[in-house]
Amino acid sequence: MNLPNYFLADLPPEASVGPAMLVEACQALKRNRERYLAGRTTQDLIRSLAEVGEAWLRPDYPLRALALEKGPAATGFSRATLAAGLDSFFKELSAERLLALVEQDLGHAHALDEMTRFERGRSAIAIGPEFLVHIAAGNLPNPTLASIVLGLLAKSAQFVKCAAGTSFLPRLFAHSIYEAEPKLGACIEIAQWHGGNQPLEEVLFAEADCVTATGTDETLATIRQYVPIKKRFLGYGHRVSFGFITNRVLSTRHAPKVASQAASDIAAWNQLGCLSPHLLYVQPGGEISPERFAEMLADELERREQTEPRGELPVKAAAVIATRRAFYEVRAAHSPGTRLWHSRNSTAWTVVFEADPRFQVSCLNRFVYVKAVADLAGALHSAAAVQGQVSTVGLAASEEQARELATELAHWGVTRVCQLGRMQQPPLTWRHDGRPALGDLVTWTDWET
Amino acid sequence: MNSSFCLSDFALWLRESMRASTAKFGEAGVPPNQGLPEPNGPASLHFEALAIRLFSLQFQHNPAYRRFCLERGSRPENLSTWREIPAMPTAAFKELEVSCLPPEERTTVFFSSGTSRQPRSRHFHGEESLAIYEASLWPWFRRHCLAQNAAMELLLLTPSEAEAPGSSLVYMLDTVRKNLNQPETVFAGRIEQDGAWTLDFDAVLSALEASATTKRPLFIAGTAFLFMHLLDHLAGLNLRFELPPGSRVMETGGYKGRARALPREELHGSIAERFGIARSQIVREYGMSELSSQAYAVSPGSGRPFFRFPPWARAQIVSPETGQEAGEGEPGLIRVFDLANVYSVMAIQTEDLGVRQADGFELLGRATLAEPRGCSLMSDTNELAELLPG
Repeated sequence: MNLPNYFLADLPPEASVGPAMLVEACQALKRNRERYLAGRTTQDLIRSLAEVGEAWLRPDYPLRALALEKGPAATGFSRATLAAGLDSFFKELSAERLLALVEQDLGHAHALDEMTRFERGRSAIAIGPEFLVHIAAGNLPNPTLASIVLGLLAKSAQFVKCAAGTSFLPRLFAHSIYEAEPKLGACIEIAQWHGGNQPLEEVLFAEADCVTATGTDETLATIRQYVPIKKRFLGYGHRVSFGFITNRVLSTRHAPKVASQAASDIAAWNQLGCLSPHLLYVQPGGEISPERFAEMLADELERREQTEPRGELPVKAAAVIATRRAFYEVRAAHSPGTRLWHSRNSTAWTVVFEADPRFQVSCLNRFVYVKAVADLAGALHSAAAVQGQVSTVGLAASEEQARELATELAHWGVTRVCQLGRMQQPPLTWRHDGRPALGDLVTWTDWET
Repeated sequence: MNSSFCLSDFALWLRESMRASTAKFGEAGVPPNQGLPEPNGPASLHFEALAIRLFSLQFQHNPAYRRFCLERGSRPENLSTWREIPAMPTAAFKELEVSCLPPEERTTVFFSSGTSRQPRSRHFHGEESLAIYEASLWPWFRRHCLAQNAAMELLLLTPSEAEAPGSSLVYMLDTVRKNLNQPETVFAGRIEQDGAWTLDFDAVLSALEASATTKRPLFIAGTAFLFMHLLDHLAGLNLRFELPPGSRVMETGGYKGRARALPREELHGSIAERFGIARSQIVREYGMSELSSQAYAVSPGSGRPFFRFPPWARAQIVSPETGQEAGEGEPGLIRVFDLANVYSVMAIQTEDLGVRQADGFELLGRATLAEPRGCSLMSDTNELAELLPG
């Protein structure tokens, strides 16, 4: 299947984008929005988006087939990893879930369409930015796809700037929107270049009403500096995540399921997202000890490698894993408090068990730490270095415990608690870094009657 | 060699072998950068036999290494080639005492570079191991860094031995100084409170000016990072020098943990321009505190420079994915088998990436994130971003 050259990212790599071309593209987007998008109702947009979502879930959908066929070479993820990741996103892209998002973030299904009564004597309407620019980090596609969905709901013209070499899936998604409704597709632009290209980015920031950016704190600080002060800037910094497993779920019968859930979180997008666990804190005292659990997880990751292989890595990333493994191999040979399991003849997966509970940032690509802690308070104490930077905690606990643990995590600053096994599958209604993602895009006009 | 052959016999024997095999290459009258004679390599040194012999001695005398080997299931009796000798990761030198020397015989420790807040490698030496260190470094240094029959003065962008007794680089340069019969020498490096090195620019400038007056060739050595600093300073003053003919520059090390790095090509270009020296007179050194031999690369007229170790050390490029030797042209981690590491571990797994080139290797960079301990999350995540696809 050949895609038409519709977006800037469709152009051959040697074609370079210049500032003048970009100004033109921005203006065309704004014009198209005015003509095709600004007047649409939320219900109507939801219907269109849900159709796209449904299409992507069909095995014979040509763009899905293309994503799975060309994706491994373009993104480094294996076909099975891509399929699982795309499914988890598009299952959420249903009319029901989209409506739930609008109602949650804006309080009313029609808030974006008309003056809507919120209380006696006060109505309000939410207006999205006319022109929305996304600076995408590009380590995995789902956050970028979600940004595009939010922008369409906000009825914004959108420019998605992907990091060089990462536009493949956002591009296919934009094509799917274009295919379903060319007029909607005409309000989206996808491009890619190496970040920090000032002449190009200055054009975007000058044209934008709102800029969202994902990346390291350093990247965000740089971008923020160039976004004019009057424009809205939404920065999503890099976060880390971890799992917490209580001893109550570590019965001989139940533990294999927990190990399988943990493996799902590690395999999903090869652990490269902010929502992927760097480590798992495990409470001793169950039938299965933390160390034994680490071993079970290693077995499970080995099985996963058969069904959902990690795929090839660039040599530097593989060398980082090999170097870290070597470090723990030395430590394991000399201390009973450290153990190491890993795939043979490949860097496909690695489990390090350490008695030392200090939080450890993983080198990712399916490299995970398992550490023993007495309780959640102990885990949080050990993770003090990352307090305020934790996105998600995947919890494996009994139902009675879960509420209390989630509340404790909330007070410590964790913005999302979910079941282990679902860390990389946030719902569409997820409040990104604790903020309403759609709600943050709009500006309200209150009308007191 | 018989069964009672011990480490000190090996050390003595190795030193003699080194002397014999290198006697020719200092005196052949061949300028080091053109038409190098092939070193007397494998055949005369019996690398294979020596490596296996040394492995079994180190297995016996180095407890930290023995445990590591046993954990891997490697024992001297079930090896068939030196290529199977387990390589100790350099990180082990940070965690453990990787030494065959009993504590009372350790007279010197070489630390890896870095600030006092980071864990550093420790390589213990005694009298005999330092003698090998010196015997190993000198002929290969002389072959690559010295002009023939020319008296040189030294400008060293490092602290002196007295100020930095734990630096293998400083020890090496000091040995060079002694072997050259103590010529006029300036140590222009200073040590900051946190252990990092800086430069005394005044000392550097007066040495450069003096050399311009006396017309005696100068040998300048330092880390890439300090060269970069010096070049910035000279550019700021708009100063340029014409070093006397026969002068040489030796540059070593990377920019580990530094905010700014300069591509090698650019660094050498600036050095050549600021010091009025041909690029072929700039030599790169690859060395580390965990080794006792150094590799050198000279800028050839064409093609990319690659490093070569002396005949008693060999570099292997290992696929990080499989741990097996990488194919021709395939990048991988550099593993060094250095027979001169008699009293520690001969087989060292570095964290550097390289690619094989003829009988040497090209250096591609480092493969570490921040240390598993001790560094901030910030630098971890920033470095991680580099590894993510795209």
